Amino acid sequence: MKTFRLTDTAFGELAAGRPSPATVGVLRRAQASRHLLLLSEIRKLGGPIPDPLQLYDPMAALHTSVSLAALRAGAAPPSARVAAGHLLTATHDGRTLRVRLEDTDPLRSHLGLAPSRQLTPEEVAQWQRLLSSAWELLTIRHRSAAEVLAATLRVIVPVEPDPGSNGLSATSAEAFGAVAISTPADPRSFAVGLLHECQHSLLNAIGTLFDLVASGGARVCSPWRDDPRPLSGLLHGAYAYQSVTRFWRTEAAARIPLQRSGPGASGARPAGGGPAELRGRLAEFEFARWRPAVGSAAETLLASGRLTAPGTRLAQVMRDEMAGWAGDAVEPRVAWLAAAANAEHTARWRLSNLVVGADTVAELVAAWQQGRPPPAGVAAELRPSAGRRLASSERLTLVHRALREGGDDPYLHDEAGTPRAAYTNDDLDRWSGMAVRSSHEALRERPELVRAVWLALGKVGLDEVAAWLSGSLMSA
Amino acid sequence: MDRTTEDGTAEWRSPMVDVSGLSLDELAAQEGDSALVRAMRRLSAERTEPSEPIAGFNSAL
Repeated sequence: MKTFRLTDTAFGELAAGRPSPATVGVLRRAQASRHLLLLSEIRKLGGPIPDPLQLYDPMAALHTSVSLAALRAGAAPPSARVAAGHLLTATHDGRTLRVRLEDTDPLRSHLGLAPSRQLTPEEVAQWQRLLSSAWELLTIRHRSAAEVLAATLRVIVPVEPDPGSNGLSATSAEAFGAVAISTPADPRSFAVGLLHECQHSLLNAIGTLFDLVASGGARVCSPWRDDPRPLSGLLHGAYAYQSVTRFWRTEAAARIPLQRSGPGASGARPAGGGPAELRGRLAEFEFARWRPAVGSAAETLLASGRLTAPGTRLAQVMRDEMAGWAGDAVEPRVAWLAAAANAEHTARWRLSNLVVGADTVAELVAAWQQGRPPPAGVAAELRPSAGRRLASSERLTLVHRALREGGDDPYLHDEAGTPRAAYTNDDLDRWSGMAVRSSHEALRERPELVRAVWLALGKVGLDEVAAWLSGSLMSA
Repeated sequence: MDRTTEDGTAEWRSPMVDVSGLSLDELAAQEGDSALVRAMRRLSAERTEPSEPIAGFNSAL
């Protein structure tokens, strides 16, 4: 029996998130094949087979998957699927996107988010307007991405907004080409959200063709989530954010085209300028945030030793894509804010997810009290997972607002000490703010350790503790 | 990659079978095919592993 094959050239383009239409066709056929194999299992178990089969429909595939899981669990499968939804079409510059807005399918919650209630005609019209505007943006400035989207996306499932975010979206490995997304704030958010989720769909389809990551392995820090992620989750994030980075790179270049050929951005602190210069530089900031994040995620994956040969090729291509953009200049203040946002995320992640054992803290306290250097090899452990947590930061919200609308704040001027008292009384925000600005390596790199020791010592200056830990622990 | 073809093209070979053009009856007639057995076994293993939901992109800025 014939099996699927991809040339290395096609695989490389796919790994870079810009597959040819022919390669997307291979992925679609692979998903249809997967769907048929699952249906054959349902038939063997005596379950109901839909007629017609609709092998290429994402919601039909989802129905098949849920039915098979129910049958295997000895439960009744869901009732027969009734195709419904609203057909949306967007055409611009000779390119057309056709999708089904799915607001009634009882299984749509299986995409991972709480679905919206059935839409009113006015709400459907609003989705059509947003889609048309997003499609116009994509076809004008992101032509290749638009073509991949048109070849992949078939269904949009509106979902309830998340109180902790302004726009939320999801995909499922069981529904290739379906995207669950809350009502977008604007066409640009919609465009980048659809691109992001379609990349997840593509990677799910690649996973049908090839094993990418060996199962197991430790959970790690992901640049875009506050909870620890398995390596497969990190790979998904990196792959999706590769396209997000490309989107913002193009958006930034469209706004400031003369800026693209300067020296590479660094995280060095800005030499001058005011917040007025920041307004309108949101795309540049997003590009500067995600370029190193995707690159470092690819490096983490490659260093894990758990990637298969195709997984290694995928991560290498992503790393190389980001390296190819290393020469793109970013305004120094924007570059610093982006580096600070990434550093704060890492600090927050460590403070939230790593715990220093009581014995270790006691050992460090004893060393301090006896005037000894801190013992070498001090480790923190991962807390048990508390479930999905989106990346969230008040400082990031502040920066986004300044980049979008202008405005002023001490943080944007990098005034020393401001994070300690400003913006919030939240413990995590304060500690992560101090970690970003600290001159002590231990507080920047191991904030969870400094916090644990400082709290245990009591009535000792934080700078003293951080300096003590930095002095020998960090060089060990 | 898995192999180099006779014309020198490097390519990746998937264990997934292409049955997209078949009906269920035609697929059933192929039962016992070694490639199909491997693909079914792999799919079965994939579905028994707990999967992480891919949800959480915050698109609004």
